[in-house]
Amino acid sequence: MALKDIKTKIGATKRMNTVTRAMEAVSAVKMRKTQAMAFAGRPYARAALAVLTRLSGSGNALRHPLTAVREVKKLGLVVLTSDKGLAGALNSGIIKRAAEAVAPYKVEDVTIYEYGKKGEEYFARRGYTVAKAVENKRDDVPLSVMEELTRELSEGFLAGTYDEVFVVYSNFKSTFEQLPTGRTLLPLSRERVSELVADVRPAKGKWSEELELKAPSSYEVESGGDILSVLIPRLVAVSLYHMLLESKASEHSARMVAMKSASDKSKEVARDLTRLYNKIRQAAITREVSEIVGGREALST
Amino acid sequence: MAAKTFHLTVARVGENVFDGDAVSVVLPGKDGVFTVLANHESFVSELKEGEAKIEAADGKHHHVPMPHGGIAEISANQATILL
Repeated sequence: MALKDIKTKIGATKRMNTVTRAMEAVSAVKMRKTQAMAFAGRPYARAALAVLTRLSGSGNALRHPLTAVREVKKLGLVVLTSDKGLAGALNSGIIKRAAEAVAPYKVEDVTIYEYGKKGEEYFARRGYTVAKAVENKRDDVPLSVMEELTRELSEGFLAGTYDEVFVVYSNFKSTFEQLPTGRTLLPLSRERVSELVADVRPAKGKWSEELELKAPSSYEVESGGDILSVLIPRLVAVSLYHMLLESKASEHSARMVAMKSASDKSKEVARDLTRLYNKIRQAAITREVSEIVGGREALST
Repeated sequence: MAAKTFHLTVARVGENVFDGDAVSVVLPGKDGVFTVLANHESFVSELKEGEAKIEAADGKHHHVPMPHGGIAEISANQATILL
């Protein structure tokens, strides 16, 4: 490689390092914000689960159309991915998990709801029906967006468009660990909500203790017993909202880690190239000096 | 004599509004306003939009606005309100 080429390459690597470092810093800030949001959502999920558990444990059994278990012939799949790449193995992990989930079904039996461009691209290319694709742009998504999606999913479920709604998202474990996770959203059951709450339960800290729930023998139910029709859709929306928050926290963490390793690597490459550059330059100088000395000696004799 | 208290949790998505012991809470139920005191019977109700008035065990009064209503669940001397 010519000396000039190496110099250009060092410059390019250093510029790239600036970019990845900036992205790392941005992701770090977003990560902190989304992690805080994910943590802040946990008390609500716990409280909602507690209510559901106590209700279902008492005489009032969980009877609601959204809890009806049917034989699964058609699948509704919700995939939560990010819009942008450069987040390490995050999206490919989620897509792989989603592809596993749809594998037992025929292409025409699967209806897909996409939140985030990456997943949409994948499934649209393979001929799946994408019922709805939402861009995953904002970090502060209001709950109402999830309520709307829940309405659509519930309608589809009740109308028999699909017999089960499955969600694939990325579960945030820590900054360095995000697990692609699949969960059944509908039909709703207590076990599944507890699974979700177990997922959001951190390894230690304030909310880490196991929930202990005792159900009273019976409840006085006001307003004609339709409390479940209020509680259940709400719980579904909250579950979905949670998964979104987890995905967001995962996305930014994964991107931060990916950008950190990119920055480290570019620094290393720049250092190696500089070494090489110096070596070649030194070799050229030595050669020139010896040529001059050689030429001089030839003249003097 | 100290008033009897019960454990009250008021949670909104993304934030814990109130979590602690309370003496009473006044809630706008679908079928009318009601007050919850300690040892209330097991009870579930949908709440209208309005305001929850909490009297905490430390004597402080809190007013929690509920613009979209919510759900109240009361059992075993504890109350959970989901906004």
